[in-house]
Amino acid sequence: MAKTAVVIPVSLLMMAGMVLLLVQSDRPQLRPSAAGVAEPAGGSSAELSLFCAASNRAVLEPIRERYERETGHRVQIQYGASQTLLSQLRVAGVADLFLPADDSFLNIARESGLVAEVLPIARMRCGLVVRRGNPSGIRSVSDLLRDGVRLVQANPDATAVGKLARQVLTKQGLWEAAEAATEGFRTTVNDVANDVEVGAADVGIVYDVVLFGRSELEFVEIPELQGAVSQVSVGVTAGSRQPAAALHFARYLSAEDRGLEEYRRQGYVVERGDLWADVPELSVYAGSMLRPAIEETITAFEQREGVRVSRSYNGCGILVAQMKSGQHPDAYFACDMEFMKQVGDLFGPSTAVSQNELVILVPRGNPRGIAGLQDLTQADLRVGIGHEKQCAMGWITQRTFAESGLTTKIMENVTVQTPTGDMLVNQLRTGSLDAAVAYLSNAAGAAEFLDAVQIQGIECSVATQPWAVLRQSRYPLLAHRLFERISSAESQEIFAAEGFRWQLSEGSGLTEPAAGAAVPAAP
Amino acid sequence: MSVGMEQQRRAMTGGRRGPIRDAVFFLVLGGLSSCFVLLIVLLLAADLSFTSSAAFAAALRKPEIQAAFRLTILTCTLAAVLSVWVATPLGYLLSRFRFPGSRIVDVIVDIPIVLPPLVLGLSLLILFHQPFPLTQFFGGGGANSAGLETSTGRPAGWILENWMEDSLGLPVTYRWPAVVLAQFAVSCAFAVRTMRVTFDQINPRAEDVARTLGCTRGQAFLQVALPQAWRGILTAGTISWARALGEFGPILVFAGATRFRTEVLSTSVFLELSVGQLDAAVAVSLMMVLMAVAVLLFLRWLGAGMST
Repeated sequence: MAKTAVVIPVSLLMMAGMVLLLVQSDRPQLRPSAAGVAEPAGGSSAELSLFCAASNRAVLEPIRERYERETGHRVQIQYGASQTLLSQLRVAGVADLFLPADDSFLNIARESGLVAEVLPIARMRCGLVVRRGNPSGIRSVSDLLRDGVRLVQANPDATAVGKLARQVLTKQGLWEAAEAATEGFRTTVNDVANDVEVGAADVGIVYDVVLFGRSELEFVEIPELQGAVSQVSVGVTAGSRQPAAALHFARYLSAEDRGLEEYRRQGYVVERGDLWADVPELSVYAGSMLRPAIEETITAFEQREGVRVSRSYNGCGILVAQMKSGQHPDAYFACDMEFMKQVGDLFGPSTAVSQNELVILVPRGNPRGIAGLQDLTQADLRVGIGHEKQCAMGWITQRTFAESGLTTKIMENVTVQTPTGDMLVNQLRTGSLDAAVAYLSNAAGAAEFLDAVQIQGIECSVATQPWAVLRQSRYPLLAHRLFERISSAESQEIFAAEGFRWQLSEGSGLTEPAAGAAVPAAP
Repeated sequence: MSVGMEQQRRAMTGGRRGPIRDAVFFLVLGGLSSCFVLLIVLLLAADLSFTSSAAFAAALRKPEIQAAFRLTILTCTLAAVLSVWVATPLGYLLSRFRFPGSRIVDVIVDIPIVLPPLVLGLSLLILFHQPFPLTQFFGGGGANSAGLETSTGRPAGWILENWMEDSLGLPVTYRWPAVVLAQFAVSCAFAVRTMRVTFDQINPRAEDVARTLGCTRGQAFLQVALPQAWRGILTAGTISWARALGEFGPILVFAGATRFRTEVLSTSVFLELSVGQLDAAVAVSLMMVLMAVAVLLFLRWLGAGMST
C-alpha cells in the first residue's frame, strides 16, 4: 500500500519531468506559441523544411551547414525513403522542398500537383558494384549470368535504379536472363551495395554515387548500361507558404559555385548550373509587342522567386543592334524568327512561343472603308507603318507589301515609320493617321477606338515569336524557369487575350524541365 | 544450482539409472535452449567483429547521435510510463469485468500488434492531417483555423493537427510528441496484453473478501489487486520500453527523421545504413543493445527489490 502511494506520484512526476526535458530540447526550434496570432503551420518563416532522400544526406549536410553559415537562414531537413516522403507530402503536405533520390518521384509529385518548380542538380550513372579488385572478374552482363556469381538488384517496381536497369536491359533483350539470374531484389539501392559489402552478394546493379566513401567496393561500368543515368532534382512544393525562401535554398543547392561543388566532390555527374547570387538579376530583352503579354507573368515570377528581372522592351531591330554592340541579356524574346537569327550565335536553341498577325488598323467604324492592302493606295490617305530596320513589324510589313506588289504605291502614302506598334496606335487615336499596319496585338488594348482589317492571302504577314537563353548566361536555370512560367496555361490565356496565337504544343515547355535547361548546348 | 538439484534428485530417486536419464533430459533441454541463446550471442559477436572500437567511439562522439540518444531515452521512458498508466486500468477492466463490447475492445487493443508498422505511421499521419469527415459542413471557429489548408486544394474541415497547433500551441507531426505517440501506440498494446494476463492470474477472491470487509471497488483495486500486480506492472513497463526502443516504421512516417529534432537511435541506424555507413550503423545498434541490457537489468533489480 505504501508502495502504491509512492509509485503513483513518482511515475507522474517522472512523466512531467520527461515532458519538460523534451520541450526544453525542442525550444530552439519552437515558435513563440501562437496567442491569437495565426501563424502559418509548419515552422516560422525563418525556417525551411526539406524532405530529402536519405541517400543524399552525405551531400546535403555540408551544403546545409554552409548555407546556414553564409545566409543565416535555417533549414530543417527530414530524411527518409523517397516513397515514404512522397506519401507524407501527399497526406500532410507541410514541406517547402522535396529532394527525392531521383527525378521519377518528382515527376509523380508534379503530376499530382504537389510540386511547382523543379531545379535540376546532378546525375547518377547506373552500373555494377563489386568488391574491391573485382574478384569475380565481372566486365559485362554475360558475366552476371555465370554460375557462382550471386547477383542482387534493387526492386524494379519500387526503386529508380531497378526501374532504369529493367528499362535499359529490356531494350537489349537481356532483362529476362538478368532477372532469372538475380538472387534477390532489395528495396533500396543502398541495400544492394550493403549486400555486396557484407559479402551476401558478389555483384549488384547500383548508381555510382552510392559507392562514395566505401573503400571496400568498386564501381564497374559495363557497355550494356552505358548511358543509363538518373537525374537528381529538387522540387519546390506547391503548398509551400514561403516559396521565395524555398527557391532561395533550391537555387543555392543547384548553384554552380555552391551546392554543385559538393555534389561534384561526392562523385555525381554535374552539369552547368546557375552562379550563386543572393538576389540574382536576370536581364530579358523582349520585343515591345510582347510587353502586355508577358509583363504580368514576369512580375509574378519575380515575387515567387524572390529575384529581379530587368526587362528591356523595344523594337527588335534596336534590341539586335544593342546585342551586336556587346550587351548580352540572359534571355531574348524576339518579335520574329528573323530577329533571332541575326543574333543566333549568342543564344541556345530557340522555341517558338506565339504568333502575331499583321493587320490594318483603322479608326472605329472604318470611315475610309479600307478592306485590304489595295485600299491603302487611296489618295490622301495617311498611313503609318513600323520601321523596317528598327522593328520586326516594319520588316514584315515591307515583306508583305513586296509580296502584294504594292510597295511603291503604298509607300507614297506612308507619313510615319515608328520603331513600335504602340506608337502607331497612339497616332491613330489622336487622329494624325487614317490607317496603320501593325500587329493585331497592338489593337488589343484599344479595341473601343480601333477596328482591325485582316490582310488576306499573304503568308508572310504572320510573325512568330521565339524565346532563347544566352549561351553564356550566368543564370541559365533561372531563365529556363521564367520560360516555364511564360509557357504556363495562365500565361497562354494572357497571350490569347492580347491577340496572340499560341505556338507551343501542349505542355512543351514542361516536358523536359531538367535536361532542357541543364544542357543548353545540346541541339 | 544444477549441482544442488542433481543431489536433491539423486537423494529422492536413489536409483542407479536416474542420473543417466536426468543427464539425457538436461542434455536435450540444454541443447534446444542453447540454440536460441547461441543465435543471439553469435549475432552480437558478428556485430562486434564488423565494427571497431574506433568506429564505436566515433559514433558516440557525433553530436547528432548524442542528441538521438537523449531523445530515445526520454521518449521511450515517457511512452513506457504512459503505457503502464493506461494499460493497468485497461488490463484490470478486461480481466475482471464482462461489459457490453468487452470482446470488441479486447480485439481492438491487439490491432497495433498485428498492424504493419508503416501502416500505423501512415494512419497516424492521416488522422492528424486529413479533415474529419462531415466537419466541413459545420464551419465555425474550427474551420477557420483549418481554412489555411484550402489553399493547397484540400477540402476545408476540422483538422486535428491544426487544432493542436493553434489551440494548444503543440505541433505534433514531425516533432517529439509524434515520436512518443508512435511509440505509445504500439508499446501500450503490449502492456495491455501483459497486464491482462497479470490480473487473470491474480485470484479475485482477495478483492472480494476486501469488499465484504467494507472496501470500495477503488480501494480493493488500489490496496489489494495493485500490490499483487507489481511484477506484472514492471514487466509491462519493461516490454513497453523495449518495444518503444525498437520502434521504427511509424516514427519514420509520422515523426520523420529530422536531426536534433525527431531522430531517435532506430532512425539513426536507418539513416546510417542508407548512406552506406555500415560500421556506424552497427555501432549505434550495439549501443542500443547496451542500453536495452542496462534497462532490463535495472528493472530486474527493481522487481527483485519490490517483491521482497
